[in-house]
Amino acid sequence: MNAPSPALVARPDRLRLVGQRRQVLAVMHQRLMIGMLVYGGVIALVVIRILWLAAFGDHAGRQQSVTQLVPARGDIVDREGHALARSIDAWSIALHPGKVIGNKLDLARALARIMPERDEATYYAMLRSNKTFFYLRRRAAPDVVEAINALGEPGIGLDREPDRLYPQTSLAAHVLGYTDVDGHGVSGLEKFFDAQLSDPARRGEPVTLSISSRIQQALEHELLDAKTRFSAIGAAGVIMDIHTGEVLAMTSLPQLNPNIAGQGSADARFNRATLGVYELGSTFKAFTVAMGLDSGVVKSVGQMYPCPGQLHVSGRSIGDTHPFNRACSVAEIMQESSNVGTAQIADQVGAARQKEFLKKMGFLDRLEIELPERARTLSPRDWSRTDVMTVGFGHSIAVTPLHLATGYAALMNGGVYRPATLLKVDRKHPAGKGRRVFSEETSYKMRSLLRLVVTKGTGSKADAPGYRVGGKTGTADKVAGGGYSHNRVVTNFAGVFPVDEPRYVMVVMLDEPQATAESMGFRYAGWNVAPVVSKTISRIAPMLGVRPDKKRDANMAEVLPYIREKE
Amino acid sequence: MSVRGFGSLVMATSVAGAALGCYLVSLNVASERAELESVEARIVTTQRQIRTLQTEIGTRGRLAQLERWNANFIRLSAPSADQILEGSFQLATMVRPPARHAIDAPVVLASAPVQTEKTPRIVDDSQDAVAAVTAVKPRTVRPDELLHVAGYEVPVRQTAAIEKPVKPKATTAKPTAKRAAASGTKHAAADPLAPLPAAKAAAKGRASGGSTDKPATSTIKDNGSAQ
Repeated sequence: MNAPSPALVARPDRLRLVGQRRQVLAVMHQRLMIGMLVYGGVIALVVIRILWLAAFGDHAGRQQSVTQLVPARGDIVDREGHALARSIDAWSIALHPGKVIGNKLDLARALARIMPERDEATYYAMLRSNKTFFYLRRRAAPDVVEAINALGEPGIGLDREPDRLYPQTSLAAHVLGYTDVDGHGVSGLEKFFDAQLSDPARRGEPVTLSISSRIQQALEHELLDAKTRFSAIGAAGVIMDIHTGEVLAMTSLPQLNPNIAGQGSADARFNRATLGVYELGSTFKAFTVAMGLDSGVVKSVGQMYPCPGQLHVSGRSIGDTHPFNRACSVAEIMQESSNVGTAQIADQVGAARQKEFLKKMGFLDRLEIELPERARTLSPRDWSRTDVMTVGFGHSIAVTPLHLATGYAALMNGGVYRPATLLKVDRKHPAGKGRRVFSEETSYKMRSLLRLVVTKGTGSKADAPGYRVGGKTGTADKVAGGGYSHNRVVTNFAGVFPVDEPRYVMVVMLDEPQATAESMGFRYAGWNVAPVVSKTISRIAPMLGVRPDKKRDANMAEVLPYIREKE
Repeated sequence: MSVRGFGSLVMATSVAGAALGCYLVSLNVASERAELESVEARIVTTQRQIRTLQTEIGTRGRLAQLERWNANFIRLSAPSADQILEGSFQLATMVRPPARHAIDAPVVLASAPVQTEKTPRIVDDSQDAVAAVTAVKPRTVRPDELLHVAGYEVPVRQTAAIEKPVKPKATTAKPTAKRAAASGTKHAAADPLAPLPAAKAAAKGRASGGSTDKPATSTIKDNGSAQ
């Protein structure tokens, strides 16, 4: 009874124990709490990550590019949107010799029958070699693929791989260029825009060219026709919008099929329009007369010059095809393409001013255009007095046909030089920055002079009725073995239409045309390239929206008073 | 006590239910998304097929091929300048409308008041010819008969000049003719309601017959009335 009730009094050791237990419990609670917090934190992290992914993950807010078809290499289209170059999925046939299970000799025979480019022995050697992989054919035709598939051999792999196709075959081949077997540009625009065409971010959008397929086709057809008829070794042609510098058509012959570019000859792969430099002859006379008018040397187109049959300057003699043997006006010099007269105008203009004009027209520099094939021009080294005179009528200076086209564009569009471009000029791609070369007045005066050449002068066969063609012929002897050859010539014509309100310039050139009965035994430009201009313009002008009008013409009253009519 | 025990259970169930609901929603969304993806994949496949077909058509119908067909079979050539018109106006000028006849309206000829007739004569083309003939008729009278030679002798031609058509009128004109004859010189002051001078003159001519006291002027008048 004297023992104290445990309920009333705790023994001190037990009390201590209780205190200890409480402490332990508290620590345990704390640890548990921390453990739970860590666990909850991890869970929360996972949940937040899942929610994040759900909200902003790969599935949410799809990128539009996934729904669109992105070609393996960007398309190239013409100004109307017709495809000029495309990537398609082609079949490739590969051989894995290690995986072949059938009779190798039978397989070699079957392969030689289906693909006869190699013989049985070669196939058999390939099948027995230790290599793991051979390409049997790339870009295989569907019937070949079907026949190979029918063999049922697991050692032959049929794969699809992107391949470059040029649906229009040789159309604008030199502009487009071509790619190698791995799909990288080797020449032309394919090379120039290779980075853009193969960039995954940008290749979905096609490269839009300034070329118009229909105009290109018309030019190529007419030029090829002339090249065949006059047995020329080559030809080149350019059609340009003179106000924007857009090249609407540019061709070089002989033709090249970029689908099988490797099979074309080196001559066919050469771009005569931008890489070939030629002494273009009399087509330069328009520039010389314009220089004279612009610098004030020639006061009016009625200014008279003595025009003897031969002009002797420092040991060289300059002669004419149609000698005047009298005094002749500037208008007559242009009309009859007189070397003697033009040389005198060039002499008066002088070397410094002539050089400055040519520099401003870009004739002394590499061509400005989006092509890797751009030629450097050839010009006289010391620019002596005879050089000034010969440059005046287009000798001693070699430029590309595209140089000539940009020069005529600058001459006729009011006097502003603009670099040529192969990309369509629109909001995304504005026209190149222009620089003034000739005054507007000079440009205006040249209209009637160039029209005179076509109506009454050497270029009469270039006239397309109703379309008011103005232009200048040029025939130049080719340099051969240190001198000029009289049998090998380059004939060309630079024309503008409609001349009363110039919009388009056209340059065509034939390389070494032969004389035929049709050309009356002549090799002159007026007989072989001028008809090409006439035919092409009457074909393309309606497409370009030039309305034919036989009642309109340039202001011929400015030049006709200075022409002596032939008896 | 029991409510408190179930409280946690209810809580747990509702949380589980909400979680399940969320999961179902997200599953549903995922399945919809997968379906959308498959549709998109189909679209891309179709686009690729369209592209392939377009490329094939473009290659088969390339411009060089069309040009060859044109040169060999179709033989179309570029239009000449004369074939292109400036607009609808120029086109309209090239069509000549069919010649239209003049309107067949009656022609009303203005004429000097001829005393024989009360109303203006309406004549058309055909009648005009007849009228011309009738107009020529009096020319059957010899010119020398028209010439009056002054003299005391009474001209004889009067009777010859009088023509038959006036005869029917004569009966109606008779009484006035008599009266006119009676009144003699009071010609001008005659009754305004009196019949036409033609009838009067005719009647007079007939009545007077070969009377000798008539002046020359009256004979001329008779000639006029006979027309």
